[in-house]
Amino acid sequence: MTPSSPTPETARPTARPAGRTTADSCAAEVGEIFARVFSTLDDWRDGIAAAVPDRADLDVLVESLVVPALLASADSPVADAPPATESLLIGAGFIAAPQYVNGRDAHFAWWLGPLASNPLLGNTSGASRLDLATRVHTEYLRDFRELEWYAVPEATNQTHVTGPYVDQLCTCDYIITLTMPVRLGERMIGVVGADVYVKRLEQVLLPHFLALPGPVVLVNQAGRVVISTEPTLPAGDILPNRRHPADDYDLLPCPGTPFLIATRIGSAAI
Amino acid sequence: MKAQLRPGAREAIFAQLIEAGRAEQVARRLTDAIILGVLTPGERLPSEQELARRFGVALITVREGLVILRDAGLVETRRGRGGGSFVIKADAPHDTLLQARLRGLAQVELSDLAVYFSTIAEGCAERAALRASAAEAERLDAWLLHADFSTTAAARTNAGGFYLELAVLSQSARLVREQIRLQAEFGPLLFLGLGDPDTRALITGLNGRIALAITRGDGQAARTLAADQVRLLGEWLLTMKARIERGGYRDDAIVADA
Repeated sequence: MTPSSPTPETARPTARPAGRTTADSCAAEVGEIFARVFSTLDDWRDGIAAAVPDRADLDVLVESLVVPALLASADSPVADAPPATESLLIGAGFIAAPQYVNGRDAHFAWWLGPLASNPLLGNTSGASRLDLATRVHTEYLRDFRELEWYAVPEATNQTHVTGPYVDQLCTCDYIITLTMPVRLGERMIGVVGADVYVKRLEQVLLPHFLALPGPVVLVNQAGRVVISTEPTLPAGDILPNRRHPADDYDLLPCPGTPFLIATRIGSAAI
Repeated sequence: MKAQLRPGAREAIFAQLIEAGRAEQVARRLTDAIILGVLTPGERLPSEQELARRFGVALITVREGLVILRDAGLVETRRGRGGGSFVIKADAPHDTLLQARLRGLAQVELSDLAVYFSTIAEGCAERAALRASAAEAERLDAWLLHADFSTTAAARTNAGGFYLELAVLSQSARLVREQIRLQAEFGPLLFLGLGDPDTRALITGLNGRIALAITRGDGQAARTLAADQVRLLGEWLLTMKARIERGGYRDDAIVADA
C-alpha cells in the first residue's frame, strides 16, 4: 500500500443518521441509494443510445461517461456529509452485444476506479480499463453472455441487480452489479453497468443499522446477506439457515430494489 | 501508470520475488508462464528495466534470469529498434521443460504444494456447499455439464475454472484471490496429471460429485471429495517425478495432446 492510496482501508467515520431510525427508514435509505445509481445508469444508457451511429467512438464515449464517476469515488467524503452516489462505485462501463462491435465476442468498455492492493493490478491511482484478453483465469467462462448480469437484462429487458458476489473478472472483491439494457429499437446493443463496492455500501448503511435496537440484516432475494449487525449472520451467509430460521425474521422490501431488510422478531421494539 | 498497460492474471507472473536465488526464480516464473501458454510464442517480454521493477530485483538479476531462458531455448533476444526478448515459437510441446521442472522440485516440495492447494480447495468446496444458493448450484451444474475435459489443454483450463468457481461460491474474496494466485504460479504443474487419460477421467468424475454435494448443501462431502481430487493430482506428480528420476520417463506421458 502506498501512503497516497486513494481508498483508505480503514472505515471512515460516517455521520449518524438524522431523525428516528426504523426498519422502514433503513429500507427507504437502501432504496434511495440504489435509485441514485439507477439514475446514473439511465444517463449513461441515454448517452450511449443517442450516440449509437458512431461506433468507432464508443470506447471514448463510455470512458467520458463513467470515469468521472469512478474518480469521484476516490475522493474521501467529508465525515459529516453523506457520501455521493459515485463513491460507492468500484467499476462501470458498457458491455456491447457481440454483433454490435466485434462481430463475435462481447466487447468490454469497462473501467475500474482507483484500487488498493488489487491482486491483479496492484495499487492504481487513476481509472484503469479492464483488459479481459489478459485474464487467462477467465478463459473457462465460455461466453460472457451466459453470466447473470448480461443474460437477465437481455432476457427481461429490465434493469437487473446481481449479487452480492465475489467478482473474479475485475476487482476480485465483494460487489453488487447493476446492469441496464441499452436498446436500439427492438435490438439490445449491450448493457450499461456499475459495480457497487459492498465495503463502501457498508460504510454508508451501517450507522443506520446500528441505530436500531435489534439485529438488522440486508439480504437479497436469495437471502444472501450483504450487511448485518448480527455477528452470527455475516455477509455471504444465506438467511434462513440452521441457526437462523425464517420464522425468526420479519422481511421488509427496500423500494425499487431486490433487497430486503430482515429484522429479528421480538427485538424490533424499543 | 505503466502497470495499467498490462493488467491481468499474468500480473501474478511478475509479482515481486523475495527469496535468494532470484535469477533462478525469475527464470522459473517465466518458464512456467511459457509452458502454460500465458506468454505466447512470438510475444515480446516486458523490457529488462520493467521486469526488474515488477519482480523487485536488480537489473543484473533479470539479465541472469534471461540468460537461463535463452540457454533453455525459450526466448531469443533481438537488438535494435523493436528489439527485446521474445518467446521462441516451439514446434514441439515444451515437455522437456516439464521434466526439468519436476526434477527441479524436491518430493517434499511437491507434496507440500499438494497439501497447500488441497487445503485451499477443500475450504472453498466446503464453504461453497454451505453458502451456494439453489440457483448458483444449478449454474455450476450447467457449466460443468458443458465443460470440455476431453483433451489435456481443455481439461487444464476447465479444472482451473472449476476450482475458481468453488472459490467464488464460497463468497470469500480472499479465497478467490488465492486461487487465482496459486493457479498463476503452479497451475501448469498442478494440472500435469490431466494429461493422463485415466487421471483425467477420475478428476472429471469427482467434479460431478463435488457439484452434487454443493447442490445438497453437504459441506463435509464436498470437502472430502475435493481432498480426494487434489490427492490424485499430487500422487500423479510424485509418481511421475519418481519415474523421471529413475530415467524411465516416456515423452507422451506428460503432454499427451497439449
